[in-house]
Amino acid sequence: MNRDQRPEAGHHVGRYMGVAMREVEELQLVGRASVAPHLRGPAGGVRTGALLTMLDNVGGVTGGLAALPDGWVVSTNLAARVVARSQVGPLRMDSYLLRRGRNNVVTSVQIRDEGLRDALVASGVLTSAILVPENGPPQWTRPLVLEAVPEPAPDLPSMPDWLGVRVVGDHAVEIELAAELRNPWGILHGGVVATLVDLAAEHATGGGSTTDVVLHFLAPNRVGPVRASARELGRRTDGHLLRVEVRDEGAARTTALAIVTCATRA
Amino acid sequence: MTAVYPPDHHLLRDLRFSFEHGADGRRSRAWMPVVRELCTDLGHARAGVLATLVDVIGGGLAASAAAPGWIATADLTLHLVGAARPGSVVEARAEVLRAGRTTVVLEVALVDEHERNVGIATMSFAVLPRRETNPEVDRVRDSPSTMATACSRLDRPLLEELGVQVRDPARGVIEVPVTDWSRNSMGSMQGGVVATVAEVAAETALRAATNKELVVTDLQVTYLGFGRVGPVRTTVEALGTGDGHGSARVELVDAGAESRQMTVVHAVATRDLT
Repeated sequence: MNRDQRPEAGHHVGRYMGVAMREVEELQLVGRASVAPHLRGPAGGVRTGALLTMLDNVGGVTGGLAALPDGWVVSTNLAARVVARSQVGPLRMDSYLLRRGRNNVVTSVQIRDEGLRDALVASGVLTSAILVPENGPPQWTRPLVLEAVPEPAPDLPSMPDWLGVRVVGDHAVEIELAAELRNPWGILHGGVVATLVDLAAEHATGGGSTTDVVLHFLAPNRVGPVRASARELGRRTDGHLLRVEVRDEGAARTTALAIVTCATRA
Repeated sequence: MTAVYPPDHHLLRDLRFSFEHGADGRRSRAWMPVVRELCTDLGHARAGVLATLVDVIGGGLAASAAAPGWIATADLTLHLVGAARPGSVVEARAEVLRAGRTTVVLEVALVDEHERNVGIATMSFAVLPRRETNPEVDRVRDSPSTMATACSRLDRPLLEELGVQVRDPARGVIEVPVTDWSRNSMGSMQGGVVATVAEVAAETALRAATNKELVVTDLQVTYLGFGRVGPVRTTVEALGTGDGHGSARVELVDAGAESRQMTVVHAVATRDLT
């Protein structure tokens, strides 16, 4: 695969999320993001899709740094538990390396609410595959510092509007694969896939809130439209258990599978 | 370690699994009879026991999918929605979702004999170069339909058989020895047993935190290193508790190997399954 090395390429999602990050120790990153209005969901808290995007973003860079100088990484598996559904902000993402193997990297990421005395918001583990880009891995100055835009624009659209989400029946949602939603590898950003899974679960449960996600990235989304379809497996005291399948309809293939727990809004 | 794997007295025989491998190498099925010794105090099969079923059927299928390479389990997730009670039989239906150059990903559906959903699991594996010590895949594919012998069965509850010792319930500190009964073919604690240890640690800590009879229904297990020496020791961070449920992060180390980090697990516990 070829990674677009242009500074602006594939960073629209990161800018929309407003995540800044800094390497505080070797292979230990701290990210920060404000609880911006455009990231909030109907219940008022930051959407789980946005939290998953932050996890993927900071955990991915931590994993990428661990993969240097051999290569860079793409996400293969994201598992996370959301424990706080309302936040004050700013949010802090603490990420560190759990394991660096021959062809994959595992990172731990926890999101805490600095406005609520560092209360835990979400805890997750990201696994990434090491790839060797044809034009070489990205070059970074270490320790790494990535600044966010100074202040998010106040009128940014909500996540569903920004993604251009449309409903397909009672259990599925769909987006077109716009250029702004691609990562530096030219494929749909992993955080967007996670957000699509979250939105499909919310839609299928009539407004439920995703509390637990296991997401396996199986193949890249290159063509679009990309559709996430949810099927309920059962109900428990903590919510609905759903199987969500993501397909690149233009390429006629399944690209991700997620198992999601979705709490019904009180 | 013993020369023949598994030895006569071994977890994988005593659980009485039976198997059926699809000819295309993309699907396998396995069955587990649920007995009282495998159940929680609320009377249904432990999540860790079902994770063991998933681990065994998934490992064999992934080895087949990765051939001629070999595999290392990277992670296992399990989400339960139904109770598997004594007298029932749980069927695991495993399917390869992705078999790439570096990873294999599987999905495993769990149902009972009435086709009722018990749960769903996923596994992913790193594909590695084959070593001489790795079993031949044909042996996995053509393995017998069961490892159980006429004498295989559990004579006492699983946690007793494993030698689980609860050291500090509030912090979820438990210790479990690594024995020949629970080792995998590489001499380390078997992956499903690791999940069971994490399950017990999370359940213990979340019950202490909530004073409620919660049982673990979800496990997200990330394997980082082997537990070869033992005892395996856990610590638990309770992440949050709600009305009838709680979640925790469990870390496992091999205390006998300079506390080498083995596994990180996220667990969810709920009041009960129906």
